[in-house]
Amino acid sequence: MLNSIMKTKLFAWVDQRTGADAIIKSQLTEYAVPKNLNYMWNFGSLALLVLVLQILTGIFLAMYYKPSAAFTSGGYTVAFDSVERIMRDVNFGWLIRYMHAVGASAFFFVVYMHIGRGLYYGSYKGPRELLWIIGVVILLIMQGAAFFGYLLPWGQMSFWGATVITNLFGALPVIGEYLQQVLRGGFAVGDPTLNRFFSLHYLFPLLLAAIVGGHVHALHVVHSNNPEGIDVHNAEEKINFHPYYTVKDAFGVGVFLLFYCYIVFFNPQMGGFFIEVDNYVPANNLQTPPHIAPVWYLTPWYTILRSFPDKLLGVVAMGASLGILFLLPFLDRSKVRSSRYRPIFRQMVVLFFVTVIILGYCGHSAPTPTLKLVGQIATAYYFAFFILLLFLPKFEKTKPLPDHI
Amino acid sequence: MKWMKVFLAAMAVPAMLFASGTAFANEGGVALKPVEVDPADQAQIRRGLTVFTEVCMGCHSAKYVTYKGLIDYPEIAITREQADELRGDKPLAAGMITDLSPEDATVSYGKVPPDLSLITSARRGGAKYVYSILTGFEHDPHGKVPDGNFNEYFPGHRIAMPDPLGWLDHDKSDEAELLQQAQDVSAFLTFISDPHQNERRHIGMFVMGFLLLLTLVLYLLKREVWKDVKH
Amino acid sequence: MSEQVDQSKRNMLFGAAGLLGGVAALAAAVPFVGSMLPAADTLAASKTEFDVGTVESGQLVVIQWQGKPVFVVNRTKELLAQIDGHDEMLKDPESREIEAVSAAWMTDENRKYRAIKPEYLVVVASCTHLGCIPMYKATKGRKDWGDSVPEDWPGGWHCPCHGSLYDISARVINDSPAPHNLHLMPYKYTGETSVVIG
Repeated sequence: MLNSIMKTKLFAWVDQRTGADAIIKSQLTEYAVPKNLNYMWNFGSLALLVLVLQILTGIFLAMYYKPSAAFTSGGYTVAFDSVERIMRDVNFGWLIRYMHAVGASAFFFVVYMHIGRGLYYGSYKGPRELLWIIGVVILLIMQGAAFFGYLLPWGQMSFWGATVITNLFGALPVIGEYLQQVLRGGFAVGDPTLNRFFSLHYLFPLLLAAIVGGHVHALHVVHSNNPEGIDVHNAEEKINFHPYYTVKDAFGVGVFLLFYCYIVFFNPQMGGFFIEVDNYVPANNLQTPPHIAPVWYLTPWYTILRSFPDKLLGVVAMGASLGILFLLPFLDRSKVRSSRYRPIFRQMVVLFFVTVIILGYCGHSAPTPTLKLVGQIATAYYFAFFILLLFLPKFEKTKPLPDHI
Repeated sequence: MKWMKVFLAAMAVPAMLFASGTAFANEGGVALKPVEVDPADQAQIRRGLTVFTEVCMGCHSAKYVTYKGLIDYPEIAITREQADELRGDKPLAAGMITDLSPEDATVSYGKVPPDLSLITSARRGGAKYVYSILTGFEHDPHGKVPDGNFNEYFPGHRIAMPDPLGWLDHDKSDEAELLQQAQDVSAFLTFISDPHQNERRHIGMFVMGFLLLLTLVLYLLKREVWKDVKH
Repeated sequence: MSEQVDQSKRNMLFGAAGLLGGVAALAAAVPFVGSMLPAADTLAASKTEFDVGTVESGQLVVIQWQGKPVFVVNRTKELLAQIDGHDEMLKDPESREIEAVSAAWMTDENRKYRAIKPEYLVVVASCTHLGCIPMYKATKGRKDWGDSVPEDWPGGWHCPCHGSLYDISARVINDSPAPHNLHLMPYKYTGETSVVIG
């Protein structure tokens, strides 16, 4: 179909003025991709899909959402009421809001799988260092957007989550207090905070869209890594993105939508994992819920924060746990990319994945002495993983790489 | 295939967390009483509405549920006349607000009774929590909390709400009826906490069916196109 | 590349996928566009109750119905007398041109009053040109209004935006940019003077 469109006169007219033909050829129909990518490579296109879904549902929610913490009746506020109005009175509002709430979790799930794939197959290594670094920037902006968005329903979890996180920034020396006030617009989380978080929650996805453009552009300069982790020079080992990977990605989208829609239509709260029970209680600045924890996708970093007895140290460690991702391409000096040919790295990286899941579990659960210790051990390994990578090439005996894929 | 294992393992993680999460659901310590509620059972929801307006609404509101909603939601669908009787001189578009003012409630009970529009979403255990509280008034085994304020299922056991159904020291002959009332009102509250839930599941069936077909076609297409690629 | 590709099967699958994808996109558009239509609580607020007896004789009150302004005028005998005798100046003296300016209760006798009870005129207050609210200039001639109205002014409304003129039954006067008389909305009397609009 694309071929026949590209033969029309209208297309020729557009092409003369935009170079569309060359763009389509270089980016799609003649963009070379290794032929051996497995289904783990589907998560990139899925992330793009969820980003679009989130922006779209968000735009429509913003038509009805009202960022005001002014009280109405029964302890509820204008913001909380407007969310309930979306859920009850707006045509299909319930669907759009559940899509957005489930979409947030889906976005992180897909992106974490995408990052995990990059780690496992060494996609962060040269020449793809910058591609990886742009990706980490995307992750940070996503986390920011999620954090801002979570305040908007103005429930108990929203309020106390924002209180805890803005207090984190207060722990920083010298600038902490000012940073905190800049975020809150007051001395505690309140109406000004809600208003600015709404503004920033609308801004961040636009930043994301722009940076994702950069991420895709960087990818198309250096081209995709592959499960073997070797450079592909032979033309026979490459295939064009369209139609091969477009149809494969489309199939992936179908599978993804099955899971996504199942949750949206049949279990949107996901037992309190996607929309927490306490967030159905209106925000009350005089009473903290008995157990507060961030949504699941932020809990690994929350555990790292909690693992240190010193507040500042905890905040610094949490920042470092994300910041160290920027350094990964430079910490790992091994010439071999894929875990398939790095026996020790492979065990380390799988243990790293397990560690992040353990960290997530600890952060979600109420703190007990046992879980605290488990969390501290997991935190130790989290950092040890990156440090060990520095020395790994000295004693790891890699398997011989194949000539072709 | 290897990627398949990885993918399934990744899918298993949220499932595992989910399972462990439900185990932690009752942080009060006491296991809640099981109860069957069907948010699509019109007869049960209507009986629950009666319990709600005659008992609960003495003190509690459900501000997000309007009298018009009681007519319009097919799961309730009471008549205009019935709605007029319930609302008195309040507008049809008004929420179900109790006549007990927050000030009077604070004087009488020490706190403002929570709005019940979202109560089954806002409490761990949902309908089971409501059902257990309503049928959980007992004598304090330690004799500290006065009768009527001791509830086995309330966190801390001391509840400000006076036994609404008259569960404490009820006659054995009334038990079935009290359980029925507690169950009915739990069903009503489950329904109003998410009034589009039945519609959502109904549409969901079609969506899932369609997506299965779409995914199958996309799979066949992928397999067909990839016949070109030699491995 | 293999040469034994079954092109027709492939085309069929591409077609099927494209068709189903198109259906999916259309279906997905329904809730989004649907969400922009008035919400249930907005629709619920689509009726307005008003007691026309509270309007002083000769006076005009602007009330709201579905977020739109509505004129309620208590027309005195003098004002009612101003309705007759200028039909040749009107674009649509019998209010028949479009449905929105007519109503089922209109009989041949009360057609010119455009009201169920002639003394109480209830009309949508938006100029049929571009929606401004016309100014109430009830008395005849230029005495009270200067040259903002024509010399043979029968009394009625003058729209400040583009100069449309209406008589005291809200019928549009020739040479106005407005195409139609002010619209009527459904209303009924539930008592002597109490009216339900919508």
